[in-house]
Amino acid sequence: MYEVLEDFAQTNRLRETSPGLKLFLGLSSILLCVSSPGPVAPLLVAATMSAAILALAKIPARFYARLLLVPVSFAVMSIAVVLFITGSGAVLFEVPGLPLAITAGGANLALLLLARVFGGMCSLYFIALTTPMTEVFDILRRLRVPAVLIDLAMLTYRFIFILIEEAGQIYRSQVMRLGYGRFRESVRSFGMLAGALFIRTWESGEALVLAMDARCYDGRLGIPGEARPVSALALATTLLYLGAVFGVSLSTGGLVII
Amino acid sequence: MHIMEGFLPSPWWEIWFLISLPFIVIGLYQLNRLVQEKREALPLLAVAGAFVFVLSSLKLPSFNGSCSHPTGTGLGAILFGPFIAAVLGLIVLVFQAVFLAHGGITTLGANVFSMGIAGPAVAYLIYRAGTRAGANTYATVFVAAALADLVTYVVTSVQLALAFPGTAGFLGAFSAFAAIFAVTQVPLAIIEGAVIALVFKYIVQLKPEILTRLNLLSESTVDKLREAAA
Repeated sequence: MYEVLEDFAQTNRLRETSPGLKLFLGLSSILLCVSSPGPVAPLLVAATMSAAILALAKIPARFYARLLLVPVSFAVMSIAVVLFITGSGAVLFEVPGLPLAITAGGANLALLLLARVFGGMCSLYFIALTTPMTEVFDILRRLRVPAVLIDLAMLTYRFIFILIEEAGQIYRSQVMRLGYGRFRESVRSFGMLAGALFIRTWESGEALVLAMDARCYDGRLGIPGEARPVSALALATTLLYLGAVFGVSLSTGGLVII
Repeated sequence: MHIMEGFLPSPWWEIWFLISLPFIVIGLYQLNRLVQEKREALPLLAVAGAFVFVLSSLKLPSFNGSCSHPTGTGLGAILFGPFIAAVLGLIVLVFQAVFLAHGGITTLGANVFSMGIAGPAVAYLIYRAGTRAGANTYATVFVAAALADLVTYVVTSVQLALAFPGTAGFLGAFSAFAAIFAVTQVPLAIIEGAVIALVFKYIVQLKPEILTRLNLLSESTVDKLREAAA
């Protein structure tokens, strides 16, 4: 899944668009979603971002749908709590036998949260699917983020892919030897996996130190950045879009669904 | 538990960013000094960060089938101290938000505080206190990792309850969130403690140089532990 996400970031149809503009668009949409007082603007962001991902970046719809399902279980649990503890307005539904009730106020708040989470998620996927991490690092560097933080992030990023591969191999061989048959075994196997993974990780880290030293590492990693100019048309469209969402957010702020 | 993108309303997400910021700044300062002293520290920290990412994206074996995972940052704090662990936590959480949609950008401050600062700080303090008191190393690691995991969830419940007090007020909302997250998390915290203690055991048996070089265990303790295992 991780590699696939990064593959799409490298090959999608918006690859040649300025990474700064894509990042700006994604982050501004997230901020608009969070600050919107009503659920309409976040839903609009979710729809337009999904459209951009599917139509402009040409990400396969089936893959994108599977990505959207990932955070659902996280969302449902937290929103259920908000739904029940916020009580104001008319009672819509009572759980028989328990002191739990859904009120109009709670339902509206839950709906708003759901819309914000959904809009934010689509904007986040827009960044993840169209902008390769390496270009994000380049932007961070130009924004004067401390070099040591960027270097650490780049190396961490590099190792994540190697480790996931190794963890998968260890896990599969444990499953083949019935390592996760019973609960006790699962805990033991998982500990073994994590322990072996840590030691292997550490060894590859030491190997990396050697390799970097051999290539005259002096505490700075250099990445050649190529500046891609922002086209005036793209910038104007982005600003127009963000302005429109902001307008919708302001004009539909007081709208209450239930 | 990661708080999702868009879940925390203004001003709470800004407030948690401000609270987390000083820890990150101190962490960066320590990191800079460490890297200047020992160049090999950077790659080793990077692999530790990647390890935390992979560990926390694997699912723990759990009975109730709930979607939970170890936080893993407890180990980072024991190895490198709480401030550098906060920086590692920040990096891991950004990658998790972008790759896995766990957490988000606006909720980053709150998530860094619960998973990168509060949990690791507890793990670090317990580990220090335990080794100073001369307690069994594995038992100390177990308690440190399990409590770090639990504290993370309690802090998350506090963050959610502050943002959504509802009509029940802060305490009522806190107990509702804590009941859902923390109670389902108690068995998982115990499993995480056991897993991290097992990791420690493998490191002691197979590659104790890691621990002695970071000044976590003295050579004599390692010898004692290896004899006990043999």
